[in-house]
Amino acid sequence: MKRTTAMQYILIYALLFIFIAWSVYPILRVITISIRPGDNLLNESLAIIPDNWTFDNYIKLFTDHPFLRWMWNSILVTGTVVVTGVALASTAGYAISRYKFPGREASLLSLLVTQMFPATMLLLPLFIMLAKLHLINTYLGLIVIYTSTALPFCVWQMKGYYDTIPYSLEEAARIDGASRFGAFYKVILPIATPALVITALFSFMSAWTEYIVAAQVLQYQDMFTLPVGIKNFQANMTTEWGLYAASALLVSIPAVALFLFLTRYLVGGLTLGSVKG
Amino acid sequence: MLAHITNQSDRYKKTGVLYRVLMFLVMMGFSTFSIADEKPLTLHLWHQRPAPSRAVLNDLILEYEQLHPDIKVEPLYKENEELRMGYQAAAAFTGGGPEILYGPSDFTGALDEMNIIKPLENAFDTAFLKDFDPTGLTYYRDHLYQIGDELGNHLALVWNKRLFADVGLDHAPETLDELIEYGQKLTLDLDGDGVIDQYGLVWNYTEPFFFMPFYSSYGGWVMDENGNPTLDNEAAVKAFQFVVDLRDKYKIIPRECDYDIADSKFNSGRAAMLINGAWAWAKYMESPDVDFGLSVLPLNTETGIYPAPMVATKGYWLNPYLSDRALTESVNLVKFLTSPAAQLAFAQRTSIIPTRYSVRALPEIKNDPVIATSIRQVEYGRAMPVIPEMRAIWDAMRPAYQNVLGGGMTPAEGAAYMQKLAEQKIAELYEGQEESTIWTQIMVIAVYLGGILLALWAIVKLITGFIRPLMNNPQGTVTQNARFAVWMVAPAAIFLFGVVVFPFGYNLVISLSNMGMTTVNSWKIIGFGQYGKVFSDPNFYHFLWRTIVWTVSNVTVHVFVGVCLAMLLNRPLWGKGIIRVLLVLPWAVPSYITALTWRGMFNTDSGAINLILRNLFGMQPIPWLTDATNAFLATIITNIWLGIPFMMVIALGGLQAIPKELYEAAEIDGASGWEQFKKITLPLLKPVMLPAITLGIVWTFNNINVVWLVSNGGQPGDQTHILVSFVYRAAFNLYRYGYAAAFSFVIFLMLAAFSIKFMKRGGATGSAY
Repeated sequence: MKRTTAMQYILIYALLFIFIAWSVYPILRVITISIRPGDNLLNESLAIIPDNWTFDNYIKLFTDHPFLRWMWNSILVTGTVVVTGVALASTAGYAISRYKFPGREASLLSLLVTQMFPATMLLLPLFIMLAKLHLINTYLGLIVIYTSTALPFCVWQMKGYYDTIPYSLEEAARIDGASRFGAFYKVILPIATPALVITALFSFMSAWTEYIVAAQVLQYQDMFTLPVGIKNFQANMTTEWGLYAASALLVSIPAVALFLFLTRYLVGGLTLGSVKG
Repeated sequence: MLAHITNQSDRYKKTGVLYRVLMFLVMMGFSTFSIADEKPLTLHLWHQRPAPSRAVLNDLILEYEQLHPDIKVEPLYKENEELRMGYQAAAAFTGGGPEILYGPSDFTGALDEMNIIKPLENAFDTAFLKDFDPTGLTYYRDHLYQIGDELGNHLALVWNKRLFADVGLDHAPETLDELIEYGQKLTLDLDGDGVIDQYGLVWNYTEPFFFMPFYSSYGGWVMDENGNPTLDNEAAVKAFQFVVDLRDKYKIIPRECDYDIADSKFNSGRAAMLINGAWAWAKYMESPDVDFGLSVLPLNTETGIYPAPMVATKGYWLNPYLSDRALTESVNLVKFLTSPAAQLAFAQRTSIIPTRYSVRALPEIKNDPVIATSIRQVEYGRAMPVIPEMRAIWDAMRPAYQNVLGGGMTPAEGAAYMQKLAEQKIAELYEGQEESTIWTQIMVIAVYLGGILLALWAIVKLITGFIRPLMNNPQGTVTQNARFAVWMVAPAAIFLFGVVVFPFGYNLVISLSNMGMTTVNSWKIIGFGQYGKVFSDPNFYHFLWRTIVWTVSNVTVHVFVGVCLAMLLNRPLWGKGIIRVLLVLPWAVPSYITALTWRGMFNTDSGAINLILRNLFGMQPIPWLTDATNAFLATIITNIWLGIPFMMVIALGGLQAIPKELYEAAEIDGASGWEQFKKITLPLLKPVMLPAITLGIVWTFNNINVVWLVSNGGQPGDQTHILVSFVYRAAFNLYRYGYAAAFSFVIFLMLAAFSIKFMKRGGATGSAY
């Protein structure tokens, strides 16, 4: 890549600044709502920090509500979803990318097809099914649904990524005596880290902020995940906006932290030097 | 799989993880057990009490549990609509649900049609019921279903004494003419910048429930004694005109005002009068910017009638599927929660009107000025009908009313439209009772035959296409490879199969049935009638086009901007880490709060967008959310904001995978930046981006959240919809399950056909090298 000139750097930073302002501004307004006393969603002024700002809402979250409990529940559920999602997507995507087997095209297309049903229509039968299996009010039910929701995209993603890795690498490994799984696990998986990162991130996001299914499944206050707990503050006409905004921001922090942590691994890179010809 | 790992440390790590996973599963297994069968009886109470009321309930529950150590009470809060749908799902479809339900009386009709509430005449004796105001006991079809503990939910006039005093007024308006006069005195531009800073009156005037008082003051009402809608009359026309005049002629209400705007303005002292319900008064009483005053809605001198807000009871229903012990204990709990002591607690702490005469007679209640005014207002009010037709009527009033407000219809046209729509929707509510003709019978047979053939075909395909090849030549490499691949795919396949197949099949079956409010448990297959309804509705095509526009504009911008940002970031930059995080924030912060924040930003008078447009570009304020086209644009802008980070992250990952050596080689060969992009970046980015784009198209097409939240459920006038939000509103408000299933199946088929074509054309089923 050519070295970027100073002029280009200035242009790049200017563009990035505009996009950052665009991305961040609404978030700033959420912060404003959360530190504003009283319970107002809307305000006339453009000021980010209102005159009588206070952290009361944040404090109330922890003292008046089992916020930490909800957070722990969410971590439990989401953590399992991430682990399961990555495990299942990495293996399934690999098989689809590398091997021809009966049902390959069908699997691929049906993964896609499962996404097309409007989610609101699936809720009722999903609920009935879970009830019949006695999975209502259990985390197992929730985890199964979340993983299945995240899987199609993750499998496609992994498959697409594997497609960009030349098969010659596995060939070399197998010649050296590795089994099929060994070649996958030791050689290909490490190279596919950027895709694994995206899979982990996506699985996390689809479970961490999911509300609708969790609200149907979890019926004991103690078991609430964060989104369900937070919904307590929201109602059509009696929303406690300050608490709602504060909790939304706190909920985003782990997502942002995870992103920060994982972007290190977004640096992929294939060293073509290991294979010649 | 484990057998393949020969490395010792790998096995150790695997065991550690395996152990932890196992322990976790055991823990979860316990959680299933510990909650199910316990010796003490657990009573579940689902309710929609707002926060201050919840606190009182929780205190009462603690007290009850101390008095009865063998009973545990488990309350669950759900917001009003979710409570209705959640209870229906649990009770009607799975025979479960809580023992006790608490909510507003207007649920009653629909719940009884679905047979999920218990008649209570035998459970509560007349001696107990004598102390209750009859309005506090909900009857339907001659049975008692609900024991109410508070009368309320009614609107009244709230006024800020301090702002009144500032202009020399010391009492609330007593007639509508005074309302206008005072309103004009109180609508002020305090800092002389041409923008009104304080409004005389604010209220959620675009919502039919909040329109009812004025309609009734002209003598109108929603229905006659038989439940037939009575909306096309002189009263409706006059009431429509009155509200429009308040906004355009007398200018005492903001041009755009929904519930939250009215609430915020009044609560922060920027509006002098507010029309809001009993549930909200406590909040204003505590606000430092409000000197709280409550008054009866002013008299309509033209007709001599006081505005009659709708008065509803909130109370307890019982689940019909209760064991004897559960029934006895539930009745006891309800008696406790509606006891004089309990009602007194609620009245004192949340200003509701108790349903018991004995409590109303107590000095603490009789002498409370707020409750006294509230009771007077209730006396002028009228009971909210509890029959299921009411839902249909609200759904009919809303678009007509909002159309009149938006100038799209005259008041007379609006009234006529309301009536027509109400009759149509009531018919839809009771659909499923149609007679079967010879054609439908033929269709039913065809459907069954089709089902059997489909099953046979599936079995044959499974054997020849799947099982046979795997058994063929077991030692050959091809089969070995194939078996390995199938093992790798199996876990994912099982998950997906389990979760998707049943709902899919269920929807398919229901779409061929007549399931509706009256046939929830007695539906039958009727053939393709529902599909006929879907395709013959002009709204279907209108919103289909809208949805296509929505999807294409969103995804194009998402991908274009996302890839550009990724390319900008794909080089050494100072602060790259922070920049990436900031750009990904729209994805990280939950969309329900950011979508609502954007909705606030689009407010015509005080939203950030118009403020910025005015201060930076000197533009006139754009009416975003009250104009159908602009509202649609607003939802697109919000979703664009939400969706860019996702595409950016995918593109970043994809770009990282492209080996630098390729660019270096191209550089040496003298290729320009653009050629490098076209020949190296694009082809190698494609297999990574294509699944994301396809799924992005599918998700955007089906994304109900953003459109719903930004437009507040399709406003103005039910026009800001895409297909999924339209079917959600049209079908779930009126329980048209069969219709909704057919509609969603059609959406599904369209998307399936499109994406399969799209993916095959993009070559995503192959590989890149």
